[in-house]
Amino acid sequence: MSMISFSDWLYATPAATALRDTAWVIPTVQSIHILAIGVIVGSAIVSDLRLAGVIATDEPPRTIVRRYLPWMWWALAVLLATGLVLVIAEPGRTLNNTIFWLKMGLVLFAFLLTLAFRKPLLDPDFELERGFDVDPDCEDDRAKWRAMVKPAAWLSILVWTVVIFCGRWIAYT
Amino acid sequence: MSLDTLLQHIYDWSISESIRANVSAFPMLESLHVLAITMVFGTILIVDLRLLGFASHRRSAQKLITELLPYTWVAFAIAVVTGALLFASNALSYAHNTQFLLKMVAIVFAGINMGIFHLTAHRRIADWDEAMPPPTAARLAGASSLLLWVLVIFLGRWIGFTLEVVF
Repeated sequence: MSMISFSDWLYATPAATALRDTAWVIPTVQSIHILAIGVIVGSAIVSDLRLAGVIATDEPPRTIVRRYLPWMWWALAVLLATGLVLVIAEPGRTLNNTIFWLKMGLVLFAFLLTLAFRKPLLDPDFELERGFDVDPDCEDDRAKWRAMVKPAAWLSILVWTVVIFCGRWIAYT
Repeated sequence: MSLDTLLQHIYDWSISESIRANVSAFPMLESLHVLAITMVFGTILIVDLRLLGFASHRRSAQKLITELLPYTWVAFAIAVVTGALLFASNALSYAHNTQFLLKMVAIVFAGINMGIFHLTAHRRIADWDEAMPPPTAARLAGASSLLLWVLVIFLGRWIGFTLEVVF
């Protein structure tokens, strides 16, 4: 079954029809979707700017990551749930839309980036600014990894910005 | 000059006309507006939750406020500029849209709420800077701010479903 016939089928299902026929559902779900993006943006800005060495440099990166990583997971869950409702209600404007798939790819990339560069910081033995003191044999690899944290932090902010642009642009393509 | 005449003037400005004429201008401004608003909400949420008594990434409420507020203000300024341009492109329609008017009222209330906080609880912040939970006045300010900004985002999204655009 092609994507177009799938989205036509989905559009005609009773669930999709019910979502569209209740006037307040789509604007409400979209509003919650934007609130969840706000939570992601707030958490991403604070933690990425910390990793980039711009703010809160008197606090260890671990404190910031530990505080905001769970927020990002909760917000992602809300984004996926509300996003799914929006796709079911209006499959034609999303599933057959290149911008939509670009956005999905970027969200996946942003979260892989978040995982790759945040999770190691939760290790209590790891100090971003000083590196591991315990195991000098691995120090070279870790130095390389540390050098990637700042660019990754700026990239993360950039990717979320593009995700938001894509989200708005889905309505126009 | 009546208000509608003034709004018609704004609608006739060349900048308003070029926003209407250029197909990418409106979505581009909207995207910037959404980006700015998520930054306002995301940063203010962290401060509001701290005022409500949820731990932030630092103990000191004052440090958190001075650290994040510049980002909130820059984002708010971008939201105002992009919002003003969106408004200008269809001034009469926006001015007659209930959701838009309610959104402006909610933003004014958020401003008043912030003003009250700065004149009351914030003046004594040295007394409760690291205290958990913060005093009632601070918690009230945090809760009102959070509710008002959620309302602003809901009303803003609702404008898109109720606005009668004139080209």
